[in-house]
Amino acid sequence: MSAIGRLYRAETSIDFVGQARRWFIVSGVAIALCLLSLGIRNLNLSLDFTGGTSISMPNPAGAGIGEIRSALGSMGAAARVQLVDDGASIRIQTEAVDLDTERSMVVSLVEVAGTTIEVTDVESVGPTFGRQIAGRAVQALLVFLGVVVVFISIRFEWKMAIGAIAALLHDLILTAGAYSLLGFEVTPATVVAVLTILGYSLYDTVVVYDKIKENVESDRDRRTYTDLVNRSMNQVLMRSINTSLTSLLPVGSLLFIGSLLLGAGTLRDFALALFVGIAAGTYSSIFVAAPLLALWKERETEWSRRRYRSERKAGGSRPAGHRLSSRGQQTARRRK
Amino acid sequence: MFRRWLAVVILAGLAWGGLVAIFALGWTPRLGLDLQGGTSVILEGPEGTDERVIETAVEVMRRRIEDFGSVQEPEISITGGTSILVQLPGVTDQERALNAVGRTGLLSFRPVLSVSPYLEPVEQGEGSVFPDGVDPETGLTIADDINADRSFLPEYDDLGNIVAVYEVGPADIAAHRQGICNHGLDCSRLPTVPSLLTGAEVASALALFGQYADSAWTVQLNMTGEGAGRFAAVTGLLAQYPMGTPNRRLAIVLDGAVVSAPEISAGVGPDGISGGTAVITLGASEDQQEEAEDLTTVLRYGSLPVAFERSAVQKVSATLGEDSLRAGLIAGVGALVLVVFFLMFYYRSLGLVTLLGLTVFGSLLIVIFGVLGAWQGLTLTLSGVAGVIVSIGITTDSYIVLFERTKEEIRNGRTVVDANREAYRRAFRTILTADFVSFVGAVLLWALAIGPVKGFAQALGIATVLDVIVFIVFTRNASAIMARSRLGDGGFFSIRGTTGQQLPQGASR
Repeated sequence: MSAIGRLYRAETSIDFVGQARRWFIVSGVAIALCLLSLGIRNLNLSLDFTGGTSISMPNPAGAGIGEIRSALGSMGAAARVQLVDDGASIRIQTEAVDLDTERSMVVSLVEVAGTTIEVTDVESVGPTFGRQIAGRAVQALLVFLGVVVVFISIRFEWKMAIGAIAALLHDLILTAGAYSLLGFEVTPATVVAVLTILGYSLYDTVVVYDKIKENVESDRDRRTYTDLVNRSMNQVLMRSINTSLTSLLPVGSLLFIGSLLLGAGTLRDFALALFVGIAAGTYSSIFVAAPLLALWKERETEWSRRRYRSERKAGGSRPAGHRLSSRGQQTARRRK
Repeated sequence: MFRRWLAVVILAGLAWGGLVAIFALGWTPRLGLDLQGGTSVILEGPEGTDERVIETAVEVMRRRIEDFGSVQEPEISITGGTSILVQLPGVTDQERALNAVGRTGLLSFRPVLSVSPYLEPVEQGEGSVFPDGVDPETGLTIADDINADRSFLPEYDDLGNIVAVYEVGPADIAAHRQGICNHGLDCSRLPTVPSLLTGAEVASALALFGQYADSAWTVQLNMTGEGAGRFAAVTGLLAQYPMGTPNRRLAIVLDGAVVSAPEISAGVGPDGISGGTAVITLGASEDQQEEAEDLTTVLRYGSLPVAFERSAVQKVSATLGEDSLRAGLIAGVGALVLVVFFLMFYYRSLGLVTLLGLTVFGSLLIVIFGVLGAWQGLTLTLSGVAGVIVSIGITTDSYIVLFERTKEEIRNGRTVVDANREAYRRAFRTILTADFVSFVGAVLLWALAIGPVKGFAQALGIATVLDVIVFIVFTRNASAIMARSRLGDGGFFSIRGTTGQQLPQGASR
């Protein structure tokens, strides 16, 4: 029976928790790399965060960079002049300028490029605005996390809430790290995307936890927590894979179409972050949130007692994956 | 069974019928500036400015834009905190509009003047204009009210066209010919003369009830030390005119328009109102409470209450807007096709439910955006489109959760119909929890965030709620109908077929 066939019929029996150490090492290394990169290279923040003016227009006259610079004169001293699409359009980026300067820049550019003001795109951002968007996003994030912790604590339990947040931070760090490592520009669209990842990551984790909760409640065989988590994970594995696929399909479509039709732009910025984030989110809900919860819960008296019994029943040979012995387990033994 | 069919047909009818109706009515979703081209400006007030002050500023800006005339459907809104978003669709030469919006205007006090019959017009006849060098808004030689050396007044016909222009000075006060500014009359056309006082000399203003006049709203006005002397002089001058004549009124002028023109009361002598405190008495009605509060705000903050800084300007040409819209649409349709193709391949007959469900979901989403656009002015921006595309992923997940659950129940030995019912019960709980988390996220983002994040949150929030509705009404019933049909229990393409089983058998594993 092929692995795919087993997956399709949900007959897999992967020991997710038993392999926890391996997943944690993988995640730990990835996180360390990301943090290192964030510390050294920082993020490539777009105009929207740093402030400045960007002007783009078609260039039917085929003006060269030299011509453009001389047309701008002293106004363009600090400007970054780019020819985009093999010189078919011009893109100028400069520090924030006042309305009059911007106006005269546009007028002289239009002249040298042989185009009109109507087809010119201008974006100008004050230095405080981008910081505000980011600041507000962080504020929203913190409030959101608070609400989520409370909600999951009520709906499930607080240990699950902490597990979910851990998985979330894992995804956020990986996404930010990917941007830093690859040097992609961080725009307000990226911020939106990161907030979406938040939603996805939690959604995924909640679905997994819901299954665990259901299995724990309906359990009649007094299985160990690890066992129940593994069972749940194998049961939802196909859903997780399918959901990720169907989420990545639209995002991929966004990424592809966005790049193809518009070049670098809002759609692409957005899709890129989503792609990394959703992938990380699926991984973390299976390989971080659930094992973390299992290892943690095993320390509770009730669960360590169950484990002790199941181990004794198995003739003293420890089932695979029980490498991390817990304090609770020892306590239980002593009581016996 | 009939009820299930009914629910499915009604929702599908609502979605597709609504879609047709929306297009027939021309209520297609309103597009944001980034999708249709135009200029948007974000103006930032000082940190910690009172909400009410920002609201006043929005009102002032709205009036200015309306005066500007050539802008269609301007949108001015508070986008959270102290920032105001001004959107001017299709405006290609934005400079004048921008200047008009962001400029900090002037509040002044001017004696009311009526044009005397013996005054010779400087110009007469339709199409009269002010002489060169005179501000067409204020009729003054220079913008500064106090230092203007000459002052001109227009005379309007009923349509608001200038038919004559008079030069006037403070000495030209004479019997009135035009209506006095009363509540309900067009105050903005009331002729006034250059002022001797500006809003800078107002120290504070307070709306009070019953304090100075029994059961009436009053506005107490306190002038600064320097302003007190001038205020006494001006009011003393006006007090020389008999009660009931317009000349005895002092107009409070905001941005060239008269906001209020209270009469100097009978007790005031030629020395004017001294001590720097004056009281404007209004009436007792609720309208007058509002009027008193508005007047207080105007007196306190002048024309634009605070200096606004342009914190972001975006001018999107119509071409870029169209390109973005097209890219968004293609990406959206592409996403739908890919997802449906995948699910049909994977879930076979259940994929059919997804296909229909997604078209219902998509149509309803367009209908909701259309209706909200027509009623509430909701616009669909590029980040909103992104939110919608993301929501396709979320709604697809609902199907997957249900279908995986169904397969599991069948494997556990249930009949297809039972499995479907049980799967719905369990999946619903999961989906509700997960959608709730997404929805809370969307609401928080919408409430706390600014800029593009808001549009995204809006779309996501709407889509999440819609997902739950479609799931309860459509997906549940459609999959139940299918479970009972030949597509439920049968060959390879059926629901049971997806589990890899051929015939009903006992519990696996």
